[in-house]
Amino acid sequence: MKRLRTDLEGREAIADYLQAEFSFLENTGVLAPHPGGRSAGLERLEQFQLEKYGKQRNFLDGEVGQLSPYISRGCLELEEVRQWALRHGKSNSVEKFVSELAWRAFFHLVYEEEGDRILKDMEKPKVSMRRHQTRLPEDIASGETGIPSMDTFIAMLKETGYLHNHTRMYLASYIVHFRRVSWRAGADWMYGLLIDGDFASNHLSWQWVASTFSHKPYIFNRENLERYAGSVLPGDPRKGDPFNYSYEELSEQLFGSEYQPERSRTSGSYR
Amino acid sequence: MPALIWFNEDGLNPQHQMVQDYADAPKVYVFDVNYLKQWAIAKHRVQFIYESLLEIPNIEIYKGETVATLRQLVTDHQANEIITTETPNHLIKSWQDELLKYTNLITYPEVYPATDSRSPRRFSHYWRKSDRAWLTLT
Ligand SMILES: Cc1cc2nc3c(=O)[nH]c(=O)nc-3n(C[C@H](O)[C@H](O)[C@H](O)COP(=O)(O)OP(=O)(O)OC[C@H]3O[C@@H](n4cnc5c(N)ncnc54)[C@H](O)[C@@H]3O)c2cc1C
Repeated sequence: MKRLRTDLEGREAIADYLQAEFSFLENTGVLAPHPGGRSAGLERLEQFQLEKYGKQRNFLDGEVGQLSPYISRGCLELEEVRQWALRHGKSNSVEKFVSELAWRAFFHLVYEEEGDRILKDMEKPKVSMRRHQTRLPEDIASGETGIPSMDTFIAMLKETGYLHNHTRMYLASYIVHFRRVSWRAGADWMYGLLIDGDFASNHLSWQWVASTFSHKPYIFNRENLERYAGSVLPGDPRKGDPFNYSYEELSEQLFGSEYQPERSRTSGSYR
Repeated sequence: MPALIWFNEDGLNPQHQMVQDYADAPKVYVFDVNYLKQWAIAKHRVQFIYESLLEIPNIEIYKGETVATLRQLVTDHQANEIITTETPNHLIKSWQDELLKYTNLITYPEVYPATDSRSPRRFSHYWRKSDRAWLTLT
């Protein structure tokens, strides 16, 4: 055991010190946009325009809390954030936001009950996953899939340690369904990279996308990606675009004809 | 009773009730090197945790193996109980279970409105059952 210093000032100095103490950490060379600490969390809460949340939350450039680093690491308590939200009075935004906080509690309740069994399939997958790879392919890990949108998301994850909920869903769906990689390989990878990494919210969300903790697999298409993420994407080449199909076509391609999809999904909401 | 407050990565609130209840207790955090390596925890998370810890007055930050370090600290501080926060995290839980063999452990629960342990397996069911509790200011 070794006692670490606590007299450092400035985020750059801290980054250098931690790199020296934990030399095995990959050096991203940039500081994360979310500084640690309760005071930064309270500041973020003050900046958050909750009234816009209901309408904008599914859009990558829309208003969301960006509170998960602070909530997951316990700098802010879930309960105090709930009370803060309810003090705004009743509105669709408030209700939506509080229900998202409840998602976190729901995942925690399941994890509390199941323990590390959440690292395995909670239910039978609703589509075949027998031939899925159990290791994350190198091009995904390094963000060099050749699909600019997905590579942008991976770069955002590595550079910031944070992703919008819809981005997490796109990436997980791409990895599990389009690339046929086991959800566990993707979940383990994302868990380590997220500042808010939390086995309950992360691994159970991956299972939700995969369909081992939901009624159906989550997939998206080009239209959905453009609508919600278009503003932050670099633009993908149209030739050989794996996403440019209707949901019916995608479902047939990805899961075969035995699987009957329900009506297409239009937003980043869980059900 | 001399106590030691042990923060874990899911509970880094300098104003947590346990800090107020045990105002005189030494406060510690351990970066578990094996855990960081095994789960390939990124530098951004490590830095976030470290920056959060710097807001806790008189925090002692260590790197090492969690249980061994805490056992040593309990001895050094002549403590006979460890105060910490509850988390469903199975790795932290297993450290807590191991520590229980050597010392008393007091864990402060997570707080949220509806904690029925027979939790349904679909969020929609959970929400239907507990939306009132969630949407009521207490
Ligand atoms: C594949 C995948 C992996 C994920 N991994 C994690 C993870 O490791 N840690 C984590 O905290 N969240 C995880 N989430 C849930 C969600 O994406 C993030 O909590 C949310 O995007 C955080 O951003 P925010 O604070 O701006 O959210 P907001 O929309 O502003 O929501 C406020 C808070 O509510 C909670 N919350 C919101 N949405 C969810 C959700 N769907 N599930 C659980 N809690 C939610 C979070 O604490 C969040 O900070 C994951 C989702 C997916 C699809």
